[in-house]
Amino acid sequence: MTDKQTEMTTMDKVNQSLARRYRAERRFRAYGMAAILFGLACLVVLFTDIIGKGHSAFLQTYVAMEITYDSDVLELSDPSDSNAVARADFQGLVKQSLRDTFSDVSGRRDKRALYALISNGAGFALRDRLANDPSLLNRSETVWLLADDDVDTYVKSRDDEGGAFTGRLNEKQIAWVEQLIADNAVEKRFNTTLFTAGDSREPEQAGILGAMMGSLFTLLVTIALSFPIGVAAAVYLEEYAPKNRFTDFIEVNINNLAAVPSIIFGLLGLAIFIGFFEMHRSIPLVGGLVLTLMTLPTIIISSRAAIKAVPPSIRDAAYGLGASKMQVVMHHVLPLAMPGMLTGAIIGFAQALGETAPLLMIGMVAFIVDIPGGVSDPATALPVQIFLWSDSPERAFVERTSAAIMVLLAFLISMNTLAIWLRKRLERRW
Amino acid sequence: MEAVMKETQTENLTERAEQKDHLQQEHTGETVGTSFCNDAKMSMRNVNVYYGDKQAIHNVSLDIGRNEVVAMIGPSGCGKSTFLRCMNRMNDTIESCRIDGEFILDGADIYHAKQDVVPLRAKVGMVFQKPNPFPKSIYDNVAYGPRVHGLADRRSDLDEIVEVSLRRAGLWEEVKDRLNSPGTGLSGGQQQRLCIARTIAVSPEVILMDEPCSALDPIATAKIEELIAELSENFTIAIVTHSMQQAARVSDRTAYFHMGKLIEVNDTKRVFTNPEHDLTEAYITGRFG
Amino acid sequence: MDKLHLDKHISQQFDSELEDLKSQVLEMGGMVEQQIIDAVESLESADSKLAEKVMRIEDEIDLREVALDEACMTVLACRQPAASDLRMVLTVTKMTRDLERMGDEAQKIAKMAISLTQDGAAPGGYEEVRHMGTQVQNMVHSVLDAFARFDVEKALNVAKADKQVDREYKSAMREIVTYMMEDPRSIGRVMNILWALRSLERIGDHTRNLAEHIIFLVKGLDVRHVTVSEIERKIQKSQ
Repeated sequence: MTDKQTEMTTMDKVNQSLARRYRAERRFRAYGMAAILFGLACLVVLFTDIIGKGHSAFLQTYVAMEITYDSDVLELSDPSDSNAVARADFQGLVKQSLRDTFSDVSGRRDKRALYALISNGAGFALRDRLANDPSLLNRSETVWLLADDDVDTYVKSRDDEGGAFTGRLNEKQIAWVEQLIADNAVEKRFNTTLFTAGDSREPEQAGILGAMMGSLFTLLVTIALSFPIGVAAAVYLEEYAPKNRFTDFIEVNINNLAAVPSIIFGLLGLAIFIGFFEMHRSIPLVGGLVLTLMTLPTIIISSRAAIKAVPPSIRDAAYGLGASKMQVVMHHVLPLAMPGMLTGAIIGFAQALGETAPLLMIGMVAFIVDIPGGVSDPATALPVQIFLWSDSPERAFVERTSAAIMVLLAFLISMNTLAIWLRKRLERRW
Repeated sequence: MEAVMKETQTENLTERAEQKDHLQQEHTGETVGTSFCNDAKMSMRNVNVYYGDKQAIHNVSLDIGRNEVVAMIGPSGCGKSTFLRCMNRMNDTIESCRIDGEFILDGADIYHAKQDVVPLRAKVGMVFQKPNPFPKSIYDNVAYGPRVHGLADRRSDLDEIVEVSLRRAGLWEEVKDRLNSPGTGLSGGQQQRLCIARTIAVSPEVILMDEPCSALDPIATAKIEELIAELSENFTIAIVTHSMQQAARVSDRTAYFHMGKLIEVNDTKRVFTNPEHDLTEAYITGRFG
Repeated sequence: MDKLHLDKHISQQFDSELEDLKSQVLEMGGMVEQQIIDAVESLESADSKLAEKVMRIEDEIDLREVALDEACMTVLACRQPAASDLRMVLTVTKMTRDLERMGDEAQKIAKMAISLTQDGAAPGGYEEVRHMGTQVQNMVHSVLDAFARFDVEKALNVAKADKQVDREYKSAMREIVTYMMEDPRSIGRVMNILWALRSLERIGDHTRNLAEHIIFLVKGLDVRHVTVSEIERKIQKSQ
């Protein structure tokens, strides 16, 4: 054996080790691929879970009812009088219609159970119809009314393998629903309420528009404040600040701030903006200020990196032509650093968009039905809404939670896409 | 950049210590040859430059004559680039850099408290080692200086400046049909000529060139050298170069720097056939460097 | 700058190329020196065989000249020598040319020696030939020595010695003219001696050229076409 080995030429040895090296290389690649596959698998599980739970929230069960706008029930004589219309008992029409459809139902309990099939918000839809068309008074029409969330859940889960989820529905109610289905009076439609309504205790009437608007206003405040401040700070630190202990200290602190838990920023906002400046609770302005504080370090750090990446030769060239410092910064450094700064900033904003903890501290966790119209209206934010819904006991909120998560994810993905697109678009080669 | 410079300098120190014994003759501090001239555009007197505690230039005095090409040569880290950059105060941006001595341009000290650096740089232009066109169009590159200084009131004036500058840089014929395409799309040699056009667009009186051909191929280098010869009719040129042949080809006088000292200044012809100082000789003949 | 180095280049190959040039010049110089000795000897002792050997060696010297020129060209093209290296290469090309001419002159002396052996000995002048021959040969030896050591002092002495050779030549001419007048029949043979003396004088001139080249090489001073005292002054000034 030793003889053979000594006779082996260099090439033989190389060839021998070659196979081993290739094996090692293949293993190395396999580890990397395994890591990626694990990540992808987690993502797929997460997405399928969320989409599986949430997709049904985009559909909502409606029930067709023959409604007669009976002026006696409504106690309304003049349909053009908006005050009177607002006071009128439209829910009574629904009850009347239900009693007509299921004429064999008697007894208070049964009747109450029957009324519970239709959402108690259905009256508002009827009111709007009448307000739009006063001539409907004392006439009849078939209207698709919002079903109650329990009915909705039951109808959606009827075809499930594990049997339908009955929840709070009793046997009679189930029978009535089945009858309605048999009459083709039940239909699943696209859930516009989810995107047009604010929060509600009733799942079938709850929407995320309020939270979306809250998030939007909060984010607008954040963008309007943190990007200019962050870029200005970065430019000053990179281009103007003398390099001494003080600026080193500032730099260390900025880096530290980036790692501070976001809830601390919430406490800070609570103490300063609400406690000291006496701003209102729960408003996007305060939320935006707090998130500005939170995203500033990220933006400053990424902007400084982008400014640092501008080749010194470009600066030299501009200085060599006699450009002043500001001209160099405005004409050359900022345009060249902009893609990097924007990328960093958008990632910061995406982080801010998904942030919950600091908003809890400043009261943006309140139950707010109204859709905010500005930065000083009480509002909540998407992630907070998700948090709130995930806490609710109703089964129908589970799917809405997932739906809200999907909307939030869509926002995040589109923001990141925007970041990539902007970078590609603005990037200039030198 | 500064750190790199320091590094190469310390490297050189150790290298130099080894060479000391065989070079025997040491520089005593006096510059040999003809540092001064009668019709000086720029006169530097007793210049000392420090980076922090480290002295990069030791007591250098040198004249650059009107419409003369002076080449500065020397091993890496010898201070020639530092000296050149001091001549239009490009080293102002380096914080640890401290300069004393006189830099006199047309009778006025450029480091005088009242001297504004912006007009100075318009008067003393600079071309850098790496071609560094702005990531803008060819036209905008050349027009940038005139725009910054407000040299042209009308668009047609600006057009003329751009054309004249590009013609002088010998680039007009090559780019006149694509003035709006990016300057970075040109070849290396064209980019460097674009940078020269950009520099002369603000009609400086002195042009400083910091190794303008070190990133170029021989043909592009030859074109730049030809250009330097043409420019020397109208401009005063100081050029730092690592290529001794280039110094020999383009310059009227050659200054040899060594370890931050100006060892020898002489007519280029003299320096390359029979240098006065042993260190110059050793460098020129490739005995260290 | 009193000493010239060929070594200490970063490229050691360049060192050896220059060193090679130098040793080749010295070799060629040695051959020429020997040729002069042999030529004078053949003339004196009417040794036609030795004279023929001198003529044969001439071919080899020509080959050496060509080879050296080529080597110089290679160094110029590949190394772009500057300063002392440049002067070294230029000096070598000039020296080979002078050495080759010296070889030619030695060949002429050998020719004279052959025709003298055929026509019979000259009535006189051999003394002068030997005397001048020794002088010139010493000069050649010194100048090669000066080149080998890059010795300006020695080169200067050679340049000075050339003047003496010129004086010697003039007096020898007068001497030989008297031979011619004494015996007009011997004019043909005496003329051979005269030509040989003239060749020796020419060799002396070429040797002076070599000395000047060496001064140029070491000092970077162009000392052609000036008197020896002028050369001395220039050298002193440069120090």
